[in-house]
Amino acid sequence: MSENIQQPKSGQQNITATPSVNFGGRRRGPGSMGQVVEKPKDASRTLLRLAQYLGGEKLLLLILLASVIMITVTSLAAPALQGRGIDNILKKQWDRLPPLFAVLLAVYFANALFTLCQTYVSAHLSQRIVRRMRHDLFDKIARLPIPYLDTHASGDIMSRMTNDVENISTSISQSLGSLFSGILTILGTVALMFWYCWQLTLITMVTVIITVFVTKKMSALMRKVYRRRSQVLGQLNGHSEEMIRGYQSIVAYNKQSDVIEEFNKTSDELTKVSIRAEILGGSMGPLMNCISNVGFVIVSAFGGYFALLGLITVGTISAFIIYAKQFSRPINEIAQLYGSLQTAVAGAERIFELLDQPNEDNSGELPMEDVKGEIVFRNVNFSYIPGNPVLQDFNLTVKPGQKIALVGATGSGKTTVVNLLMRFYSPDSGEILIDGTNIRDINRDTLRRNTAIVLQDTVLFTDTVENNIKYADPEASAEAVEHAAQMSNSSFFIRRLPKKYQTLLIQAGAHLSQGQRQLLTIARAVLADPKILILDEATSSVDTRTEKNIQDAMVRLMKNRTSLIIAHRLSTIQDADKIVVMHQGRVTEIGSHEELLSKKGSYYDLYMTQFAGGQT
Amino acid sequence: MLKYLKKYRYFCVLAPLFMVGEIAMDLIQPSMMATIVDQGVLKQNMDLVFHEGIRMILLVLFGGLCGILCGVFANLASQQFANDLRKDLFARIMNLSFEQTDRFSTGSLITRLASDVTQLQQMVTLSMRGVVRSSIMFAGGIFMLYRQSPRFALTAACGLPPILFLVVFFLKKASPMFVIVQEKLDGVNNCLQETTVGARVVKAYVREDHELQRFDRANDALCNINLKVQSLLAFMTPCMNIILNLCVVAILYVGGFTMRTGGDITSGRIMAAITYMSMILHSVTFMANIFQTFTKAQASAGRINEVLYCEEAQASGHVTETQTTGELEFRHVSFSYPGNSQNILEDINLTVHKGETLGIIGATGSGKSTLVNLIPRFYDVTGGQVLVDGVDVKEHPVQALRERVAIVMQKAELYSRPIEANIRWGKKDASLQEIKRAAEIAQADDFICRTPEGYQTMVTEAGHSLSGGQKQRISISRAILKDAEILIFDDATNALDLQTESRLYQALKAECPHATKVIVAQRIASIKNADRIAVLDGGRIAACGTHEELLKTSAIYRDIYDSQLKDS
Repeated sequence: MSENIQQPKSGQQNITATPSVNFGGRRRGPGSMGQVVEKPKDASRTLLRLAQYLGGEKLLLLILLASVIMITVTSLAAPALQGRGIDNILKKQWDRLPPLFAVLLAVYFANALFTLCQTYVSAHLSQRIVRRMRHDLFDKIARLPIPYLDTHASGDIMSRMTNDVENISTSISQSLGSLFSGILTILGTVALMFWYCWQLTLITMVTVIITVFVTKKMSALMRKVYRRRSQVLGQLNGHSEEMIRGYQSIVAYNKQSDVIEEFNKTSDELTKVSIRAEILGGSMGPLMNCISNVGFVIVSAFGGYFALLGLITVGTISAFIIYAKQFSRPINEIAQLYGSLQTAVAGAERIFELLDQPNEDNSGELPMEDVKGEIVFRNVNFSYIPGNPVLQDFNLTVKPGQKIALVGATGSGKTTVVNLLMRFYSPDSGEILIDGTNIRDINRDTLRRNTAIVLQDTVLFTDTVENNIKYADPEASAEAVEHAAQMSNSSFFIRRLPKKYQTLLIQAGAHLSQGQRQLLTIARAVLADPKILILDEATSSVDTRTEKNIQDAMVRLMKNRTSLIIAHRLSTIQDADKIVVMHQGRVTEIGSHEELLSKKGSYYDLYMTQFAGGQT
Repeated sequence: MLKYLKKYRYFCVLAPLFMVGEIAMDLIQPSMMATIVDQGVLKQNMDLVFHEGIRMILLVLFGGLCGILCGVFANLASQQFANDLRKDLFARIMNLSFEQTDRFSTGSLITRLASDVTQLQQMVTLSMRGVVRSSIMFAGGIFMLYRQSPRFALTAACGLPPILFLVVFFLKKASPMFVIVQEKLDGVNNCLQETTVGARVVKAYVREDHELQRFDRANDALCNINLKVQSLLAFMTPCMNIILNLCVVAILYVGGFTMRTGGDITSGRIMAAITYMSMILHSVTFMANIFQTFTKAQASAGRINEVLYCEEAQASGHVTETQTTGELEFRHVSFSYPGNSQNILEDINLTVHKGETLGIIGATGSGKSTLVNLIPRFYDVTGGQVLVDGVDVKEHPVQALRERVAIVMQKAELYSRPIEANIRWGKKDASLQEIKRAAEIAQADDFICRTPEGYQTMVTEAGHSLSGGQKQRISISRAILKDAEILIFDDATNALDLQTESRLYQALKAECPHATKVIVAQRIASIKNADRIAVLDGGRIAACGTHEELLKTSAIYRDIYDSQLKDS
């Protein structure tokens, strides 16, 4: 029963599953994503999967197990040897003492050696597992579909990577050894007890049953609290990440106190849950202690009774009691570890939940050879949220080598076209063809390699300028990088940077102006040398003269290649072969600059506002 | 750090007190057990078994209760301590200057807020429960050893200096590594953050594997340093055990020797001495663990303090009595980023009067954004002065200064909450009408109303649910709602189509006539109607005047104009 616990109601508690709401336009996750119903979780399945991670390290596990056995043996042998030493002293057999001491010392050294071995191996084990787990997680994160990333707080994803993984690592390095030796001792003791007197052993099992019962009850409570804690921690990290990242506006609006207040609320909630979790976890030890002592009294009472009946001898009782005592120690220890294990399981659940997310659709195997660059959108319908169409029966044909511009009011679906063409999202119906092949059937990576994209939101990495430019091709030569920088007009400002191309961009280029950042991303696309180039408001922060220079360079670059340009500045797109005017997800006008002007439709209106400059 | 604990000093006292109760029960319990076995079970005295048994269970229950209560108070203290620390740290982060945030990097700030605070919290819990326990056991052990025989105590005392040496040796070696561990954690976080935020680019360039490699490097670095520190510390406990066990052998030897020479030592005393010695052994091992946590926490405390006590980069001014003339002046302003000798701005002189609209235009990297960032003191000038209402911005209290200025950033920053709440940032107690009016001026009302939930529509993570233009209009609404004296648009309308933009500026002119407006733009159309336009070139003002004047006098301006309008 405690295996399946319903998650606390989702909703505002769960930042990772912010319900998506319907919306008129834009990029956003499908609605189904938002209404994630928390599934009942299965702790034993989680443990099994964790065990699978351990399973890959059979050798280390074996060494660990061997060390634990040796530690147990040596720590049992030492008291016996001490006892013999005392006996020798009592019997005044002085000559026997030196060899005994030698053996005792040897045992101690062996014990120390195996302890070292155990700690060393568990450290290796935990780091190897954690390394693999982080690797797997990152691998997953890098391959998650865009819709998932668009709708989930990156801070929460980060929290899984750091906090949850860290918890598992601590658990493994600290608990695994104790767990092993505990189980070993329990098994050994139980076997010995059975051998002495099975009736009494059965009675002792009452303690075990009580222990199991209490543990189950407690674990039901604990798991809920620990999971909640992981969740709130993720929420807190999500919140702080968003706020730290977007803190410029916070400062600009003097909103620090409000944001801090909000943070404090979550932080208080986390504290409340943590206190509850830790207290519950900390109670396990004393509780188990009580139970094992109750067990001891029961054994004593029944033992005495059995002895009265003549079932067993007094010697058996005394041996039995020693074992019963020995029995309680590992149970105690395991109970103490319980809290940390629960934290690990709660963390593992969150990690596996992320790992279980489907990868980005990778279907399609066709290569793209000899790309001509013809793009066809045929009857494409798309909505981010069912019932809110963003593209409606969208049809567009781009001939090879053409330069196509998409214009239209914000929210008319321009960026969505890019999202679909790059296979970030997939159309609800209709098809997108490149050179006559549905892009679904083309190998996704090939498709993207042949298509370079420059986005309005510049993305730079904390790396050198050079590495940022040759992002598409790390093998690129310094000349190629410089050439790309020249084409994009960024060489001018790069040369003024302290270390030129080797300048490290701190905070992903915080000290560059937005326009300079855009120039760098354009350089990146130039170096990628694509068959299809997509510029989505790529020069919006670049001044028009620089833009003009880039365009001239681009014309040369894009000769015989297809380019798709989204821009509000009509000067950016005037010389496009074809201008596509979009309105609410449909193509309303299409033609060259001159054709559209003479048509005096919506493009004409747009054009007039630009050049009339608001003199209406 | 200690001052944070002070608030919870009662809990800090109560927790060890209850711990003492628990230990007392732990110490009494074995002797009761012995009584039950020796007097009761072995002599088949069932009455005694029951009586003593019940007494023992009661005592154990009491001890357990003490233990639980100790946990309760220790957690009340440590978690609340961590909570206070976390809150203060976050508050401090929110008040860092831009330059400081750049220096720390967001990834590192997040690690400090999460991981480092947790390290400290664990240290407090552990020390409250463990320090008391192990020191009582240690002191008790030594004392009991002394009572058995001073010679035993002396023997044990001989073992202590090497142990002390070992602990100091290992922790001294480990302590700098703990700092590196946290730094490497920053690296992992930074990498992860960049990949999640830049997912589109990573995917578009099919660089998932490359990112994975980059991450693996950071991950390996973290794992390796973790492993290094753990491997080092793996030696600590066995080494200590050897020394302590040598003491045990020594006690056996001393005991035997004393007996042989006719000293007053019995075998029972030797046995007891060994028991106490193992008690000392356990407490010392435990203590060493606590020291280890302590060292770790010290590294974290250092990182937290670095943020908490980093110099107030910007001294807040104290001039409160100013006329709100809405006048803005740049006086011989120059600026360069730290570590870069190249001046971004040089000798800027410019005055904007109340209600005036100033347009700023210029090439990429000419310093337009930097210039307006100086007004709300996002960065401080390196030379000259910026004056608001005739007073140097450094003389204004920072808060008050920023109240007077509403700036719309180039990159619209929205937060995951409803649209209404995003706009309401401008003015906390704004009525719905006010919000709607601000949105109308910003040309945002239309599209907001078209959404099914209108102003209650949630903005998802970093505004991914909105198009660039929609985001910009929401952040403009926010600025308009603020109703500040000085309104700055830092290239804030570049994602708007031109019709919408021109409607926006017209509405702005009509509805906010008194605000001093500074508009940075790329498109001539955006600023054509400004009262004056400043042309920036290479960090200097190349020309300043109306559109018509500039067309006549400024070659650069004409160039820009031509590049945009030449075909018309």
